[in-house]
Amino acid sequence: MSRERNVAAFVRARRAAWERLDALVARVGLEPLSLAEVEELDRLYRRTAGDLAWARSAFPGSDAEGYLAQLTGRAFGVLYRRRRGLAAAAALVRHEIPAAFARSRGAFLLALGLLVAGIAGGALAVAFEPEAATLLVPVGIRDAVAAGRVWTDDLLAVAPGVGGSIIVRNNVTVASLAFAGGLTGGLLTAGLLLGNGLVLGAVGAFAWQGGQGRSFLAFVAAHGPAELLALLLAAQGGLHVAGALVRPGEAPRGALLAARGREASRLLVVVAPLLVLLGVVEASVSPGTGWAPWAKAALGASLAAGTLAWLWRGRTDA
Amino acid sequence: MNAEPRLELETPERVAVSLELAGLGARAFAWLLDALLVFLCWMMAFFVYSFWGDLLRRWQALSVAGQFLGVGAVVMTGWGWDVAWELLAGGRTPGKRAMGLRVVRIDGGPVGLAESLGRNLLRAVELPLGYAPGILMVALGPRRQRAGDLVAGTLVVRERRFDLSRYGAVPADRERFAPLRGRAPALLSAAEYDRLVDFLRRRPELEGEARGRLAARLAAAFARRAALAPPSGADAEPFLEALVAFYAEGA
Repeated sequence: MSRERNVAAFVRARRAAWERLDALVARVGLEPLSLAEVEELDRLYRRTAGDLAWARSAFPGSDAEGYLAQLTGRAFGVLYRRRRGLAAAAALVRHEIPAAFARSRGAFLLALGLLVAGIAGGALAVAFEPEAATLLVPVGIRDAVAAGRVWTDDLLAVAPGVGGSIIVRNNVTVASLAFAGGLTGGLLTAGLLLGNGLVLGAVGAFAWQGGQGRSFLAFVAAHGPAELLALLLAAQGGLHVAGALVRPGEAPRGALLAARGREASRLLVVVAPLLVLLGVVEASVSPGTGWAPWAKAALGASLAAGTLAWLWRGRTDA
Repeated sequence: MNAEPRLELETPERVAVSLELAGLGARAFAWLLDALLVFLCWMMAFFVYSFWGDLLRRWQALSVAGQFLGVGAVVMTGWGWDVAWELLAGGRTPGKRAMGLRVVRIDGGPVGLAESLGRNLLRAVELPLGYAPGILMVALGPRRQRAGDLVAGTLVVRERRFDLSRYGAVPADRERFAPLRGRAPALLSAAEYDRLVDFLRRRPELEGEARGRLAARLAAAFARRAALAPPSGADAEPFLEALVAFYAEGA
């Protein structure tokens, strides 16, 4: 194919094809293309890539070259992207998320260990040294328990949705920090797990001592297990990322960080919707006696166990 | 020619594609625009809230599904704004669109849900620190990625708007500079043509003396190349116009 040596003539001869390609690329993903249009897109892309190669050698530094580089880059990104839509979502749910979980199972167990240690520490501290409660248990809860009031019923006093959105925001903040804390080498993540565990254990033990152990358990039964699981998954992602910084092995830290980050991000796809769902549960199901304690426990256990069972069957080679 | 860091990719057709990475200023400004829009959304919500005094009761009358949607909407404006726009608008939040920026995967493809969630949730550590680590990383990093980009494997690229009409016909007094006819394509490189068009288009914005001096220097340089006498002061711009016009119509 003969090529114009003059940039203006070159652009005039090809401009219509480029602009047609531009229009087709802009439509991908927004509306379906006909078969003929897809073939046209493919043909125009190849031709434009060739035009770019020519512009590179014949008109370096010109606007025509810049335009073609940008257009080819966009068309390349659209044509060679991985599958999207329903098929991609199905693959994500069936293989990629469980596989990401399996590849960082050690980080999950470490997070679980830290949280359990925190809970045990908080409970033991309050059990053996009642003064510890003034440090670990929030003052509102202390007053309520002292007055013999079930503090969790306070959540019913605000509108369910308002309480729910505050809870969701709070949980998302904690989970985000647990995940992002991986960049501190896992220190922040570990601190969050221990700290939340301490408070949870202390509140539980304090409520038990105050004779409200049953209502405390009934309150946390519906949302607690899955909420802790969501926190653990976010922390698992954070610790997985932290591993790339602390123990990179033979890989360069930057490359490993990017690879681990992509895997850890898959776990966030579970965490985010789970937390929104749990915020609704915590604000509407958990407080009060609208749901029988056994129903709350069954809901909470099945939420957490179902999520964990789905993740646990992941295979590292998937 | 361009000192901005770029991402170099090679397509299966063996054509090198390079994407221009976005700089700190444009990204910061895009973030500011988005923050302003989110703030406006909250103001609107507050206005509606105060307009309907008993919104709380209306809310309680909603079904569980309605409340669920409401909670989702609240979470979306705070945390999901970037994720939703990046997924549904091809990697561009309104702020990024205004600044000509786009979030892409590190291989040049569009961002997916996991990547977008990853890069935006990491704001949780960057925002409380006033984005200081992010600013340093974008300013100094080879790929201009903040922590969220690094972890999620994404980049922010800049898209320029090119105007191809510059290669069309140009009005000029062709008869007066007839000696240039047919010779212009050999006298100019493509990049020089672009810069000449830039000068001719922007000259109304230039201050009179600077404009005359620039035109005279350009005209003298190209006249020397064409082995012609340098045009006089008033003729410099018509000479350049003719040069561009002959170049544009040359085959």
